[in-house]
Amino acid sequence: MHIDPKREVVQSKGGRIGMALLLVVFLLAIFAPLLSAYEPLTQTTQIFAAPSWNHPLGTNHVGQDIWSQLVYAARTSLLVGLLVAVLSTTLSALFGTSAALIGGAYDRIVMRLVDAFIIIPIIILLILLSLYFNPDLSGGSLIGIKVSIIIAVAGISLYAVRNLGWVGIFIVSPLIALVLLSYDIIPSTGGLIIILSLLCWQGGARVVRAQALSLKENTYISATRGFGASIWYIMRRHIIPDLGPILVADFVFCVRRAVFLQAGLAFIGIGDPNIVSWGSMISDAREWIFLDVWRWWLLPAGIALSVTIVAITLIGYALEPALDPRLRGEISAQN
Amino acid sequence: MLKIEELKVSLGGERVLQGINLEVQPGECIAVIGESGAGKTTLGLSIMGLLNGNISGKIYLGNTEILALSEEEIRRIRWNRVAMAFQNAQNRLNPTHRILDQVVEPAIAHRYNNKVRAIQRAGEILKEAGLASAKFHEYPHQLSAGEQQRVLIAMALINDPEILILDEPISSLDASSRIEMITFLKRAIADRTVLVMTHDISTAARLTSKVATLYGGRIVELGPTDAVLLHPRHPYTRALLRSYPNMTTTKDLQGIKGRIDRQTAGCAFNPRCTQTISICQKQVPPLVKHNRWLVACHRGGIIPALYVDKLSKSFGRLKAVDGVSLTLEHGETLALVGQSGSGKTTLARMVAGILKPDKGYIQLESRKSEQKGKDYHRTVQLVFQNPGEALSHRLTVIESVREPLEIQGIGTKVERDKIARRVIEEVELPSIDKFLDEYPHHLSGGELQRVNIARALVLNPQVLIADEPTAFLDSSIQAKVLKLLMNLQENRGLSMLFITHDIAVARKISDRIAVMQKGKIVEEGSTSHVITNPSHSYTKELLNAAAELHSEGKDETADHDSK
Amino acid sequence: MLTRQNLITYLVALFIILTLNFFLPRMMPGNPIIAIYGDVAVVQMSPELEAELTERFSLDQSLGNQFISYWTALFQGDLGYSYAYNAPVTEVIFGRLPWTLLLAGLALIVSTTLGILLGIESGWRRGRRLDRSLLSGMVAISGFPDFLLGLLLLLLFAVNLQLLPLFGAENAYSGLSGFQRLMDIAKHLLLPLVTLVLARVGGDYLLTRNAMIGELKEPYILLARAKGLKQGTIRYRHAGRNSLLPIMTRTSILLGLMVTGVLFVEVVFSYPGIGFTTYEALTYRDYPLLQGLLLVSTFCVLTANFIADLLYSRIDPRVNYAH
Repeated sequence: MHIDPKREVVQSKGGRIGMALLLVVFLLAIFAPLLSAYEPLTQTTQIFAAPSWNHPLGTNHVGQDIWSQLVYAARTSLLVGLLVAVLSTTLSALFGTSAALIGGAYDRIVMRLVDAFIIIPIIILLILLSLYFNPDLSGGSLIGIKVSIIIAVAGISLYAVRNLGWVGIFIVSPLIALVLLSYDIIPSTGGLIIILSLLCWQGGARVVRAQALSLKENTYISATRGFGASIWYIMRRHIIPDLGPILVADFVFCVRRAVFLQAGLAFIGIGDPNIVSWGSMISDAREWIFLDVWRWWLLPAGIALSVTIVAITLIGYALEPALDPRLRGEISAQN
Repeated sequence: MLKIEELKVSLGGERVLQGINLEVQPGECIAVIGESGAGKTTLGLSIMGLLNGNISGKIYLGNTEILALSEEEIRRIRWNRVAMAFQNAQNRLNPTHRILDQVVEPAIAHRYNNKVRAIQRAGEILKEAGLASAKFHEYPHQLSAGEQQRVLIAMALINDPEILILDEPISSLDASSRIEMITFLKRAIADRTVLVMTHDISTAARLTSKVATLYGGRIVELGPTDAVLLHPRHPYTRALLRSYPNMTTTKDLQGIKGRIDRQTAGCAFNPRCTQTISICQKQVPPLVKHNRWLVACHRGGIIPALYVDKLSKSFGRLKAVDGVSLTLEHGETLALVGQSGSGKTTLARMVAGILKPDKGYIQLESRKSEQKGKDYHRTVQLVFQNPGEALSHRLTVIESVREPLEIQGIGTKVERDKIARRVIEEVELPSIDKFLDEYPHHLSGGELQRVNIARALVLNPQVLIADEPTAFLDSSIQAKVLKLLMNLQENRGLSMLFITHDIAVARKISDRIAVMQKGKIVEEGSTSHVITNPSHSYTKELLNAAAELHSEGKDETADHDSK
Repeated sequence: MLTRQNLITYLVALFIILTLNFFLPRMMPGNPIIAIYGDVAVVQMSPELEAELTERFSLDQSLGNQFISYWTALFQGDLGYSYAYNAPVTEVIFGRLPWTLLLAGLALIVSTTLGILLGIESGWRRGRRLDRSLLSGMVAISGFPDFLLGLLLLLLFAVNLQLLPLFGAENAYSGLSGFQRLMDIAKHLLLPLVTLVLARVGGDYLLTRNAMIGELKEPYILLARAKGLKQGTIRYRHAGRNSLLPIMTRTSILLGLMVTGVLFVEVVFSYPGIGFTTYEALTYRDYPLLQGLLLVSTFCVLTANFIADLLYSRIDPRVNYAH
């Protein structure tokens, strides 16, 4: 199956729109300090101010500049989305391919666990877990998080650049820029990122396993075995590279899901209250929907969130024909 | 009943049907044969009004012009007045509907108001088609390919359509199912107007009374099935029969040279035809009656390449050739079989223009000709029996092959050399200098004969006479040279007169056989016919004496080979 | 399809949740009762209540004994006590569950039916105007998280236009009964229902549309046309029916997620179902209630999946051969 993800996305009109929108959001996130006059969390005495030159979107109930909040919140969503996707895809790839290649009891056990986790309702579990393990982790565990994030990001960056050409660079450089710029929110959101990743990789693992199983049957794999290669070598050299399209699609769906979940959790109050995110903005704005202020508070945050999700969705849909060739072509049904 | 006028269909920018004219009388069963991609299914779909492409022309079903109907009107006609039994394919039947439901569906949609009656009828017709009733409530994937095909055919019959179109009704069946299916089909098509689309000629032979050959989007031949299959008049039909393995013909399979040319303004078969003339490239030949049935050919079908009329030659009191008349058709191989002294070599030399006949004349295509003159020799060439003697021991290989070109004054020295080298490669000899500069006495028998053949081909003749070309060769080399000759004939479109004493060889390579005894032709006919049903006693003798691989014939086999 | 694999999966899932429920609080340092009930609750608890709970769950004994009493209580249907609602957890949960089932069930039925119908019509007319507008519309809507959609609808219809109620499942103090009560419930249901349908319909629509596009290329469609069947028949009985398989998969997943998937919407509309209860439990740090909710919702998911498995092969015979 020789599919080129970057070509699929570029060729589809939806994909191009999605990429363009996402680019805008990225730029907002990265250049947030340049674009906003105020720190997002600084409270002023001007509450519920209408939009003005100083405050392009007015202020909220504690006098914080809504526009600054909006652009800084982009960082939160993108950071969480991308990092969760990075970790989750890595885990999917590892578990999926190892289950396919090793087979036997290992395969059965891993798959039962995967299926079980897919069934378990995540939201409530997340709520419980976040209560027991407060998302703001400190101390020793911080280093563990940082290390695993760095390793995963490095791994995926290498893979992306090597296999996906400029799309890979497109994914990787903003990611790294974001991670660096958002350094300050990693400690508190780090825990959330880890937990989300641990609950999101199962879906991808099934798909990866299915694909790896079918790749395994290829004759050239048997040949490599005949040269005495180990499972890890085969996985690294032959299977994972060919999983490209599936992993890219899985990555995109993961980003979407993570952005959605983070926003939803923030909406119901889970997450560090000191971090600004679109979900928490919507949650705050909710209390004041009787006032006119929703027009420049609730609405922009909501639109920003929706636009981001739609952009990711469009890119995801552009990739779908890569996985199911029946969807290609422009034949109208009615003839 | 069914009349198609100038039907032209383009699908996706490609012209699939280029002007079909066909009339089918009520109760007639006509086959449309052709290779895959020829447009048979497209034709069927057009009659059903199911095509999405560019269509022009008229199709008359009785008095109704199908292509002029609205979608709703034609929907009512479909499966009512005209039905098609599709070719079986994966998911041809809806995988989630039960068999009986699928067969009942069109009955209820068109004819039956009473559901119970419809189900009854469906059951009857499925049973007739040979499907076990236990299978009625199963799903398509639970049936074998043969059973699925039966369902498709039964489904087509349920509304008793006036016109039935069968698309490859037996291709997906295995051998044993085929016989049953043919029997069923024979009953089903009785008293119905039927079109059978197939590439399988034996199906056409068994079921139909008329056959049409489809090539290049046009009908090129249309006539009574038995006659056409026995003696096809269009070169494509003949080639089709030659390339079709069956138990009747005995000649080795042969393909057709070249490829189809759909873009041409003229006859689509032109680039592959052996008898083309200039008009063939410019104008499409109309489908008209030549002799007994319709053929689309500017030359009226296959014409003779060479015609010999009452040729006679005597040496003193010995009548070597006594009033021999023969026709060699374009593109065919005619074997002249007879023992030594029968006069065959004399006849060969006369036809080649080397020996002057006492009486009678020779005709090339339609022109009477003197067997002399450079023109004649450019058209007819002879490959001699004994290659060693046929080549001058003074000339090298390349010089021998170049000689005819020099004699005829064709081209410059450089061009002649090029032509010669190309032909030498054609006969599968190396065209490296080392070989080309060899003298005949350094070459093996097989190599010599190939040089001989090369030399005969270098003038691009239309007719090649091969006089016992393998008589002086070992058996293993014999096979190679014979295959070479057949390939050359296929690639160049030669008409070949093959002279041999060995009727077993003749059987393998010829379309027709003429048996010669004591200067006269005693029997003549298509090879398969002569071999299986010889009428003359001499032919029977020859057949008896021919090589067989049974224990009784061992001694004779040994004798034959050493010649 | 119901297989041994699936059964094992369900048991594993159940086991994980039960174990988590048991071990999580007990892994925290300090007094187990604080871990289970949260420090806030324990502070408010009367000493008698504290003693009773300690005794009931053997909290002062070894881990093994605790395990036994945990399971014993479980089998007796005792999920603990919710101090926030001042009632046994089971009572709280099962009192609220019907509202969620009503909302989620209706939403599932409506969104799936709508999604399928629109998907079939869209797939049939691929590339034409209806298809293109539906497709862009669906993609646009699918970008809105359900809580946002809910908020916007609430804003428009309840706050600004004041056409529909702001919160709740019914007007609790009005004392309505019979048909009038039904209408009241319906009015309260309308906005959350529409929100959920808008949020979900895109998924079914796209799946159906894609499946439809694929099916229309299959040979049996040409045969159906040749049989002179009406277009509607071909569209629904042939292509549409065969496009349902991916929907079945998705629907069975959604069936399972039915109980928990409405959480955000319930919160936005303060609709007193399981989701809203979870939110309140979160706010009050009512751990036992939360654990009970996790258990009950997992159980619901498993039951739903189980039922879906049983019904699977009836719908599409190809399923049996897909494995």
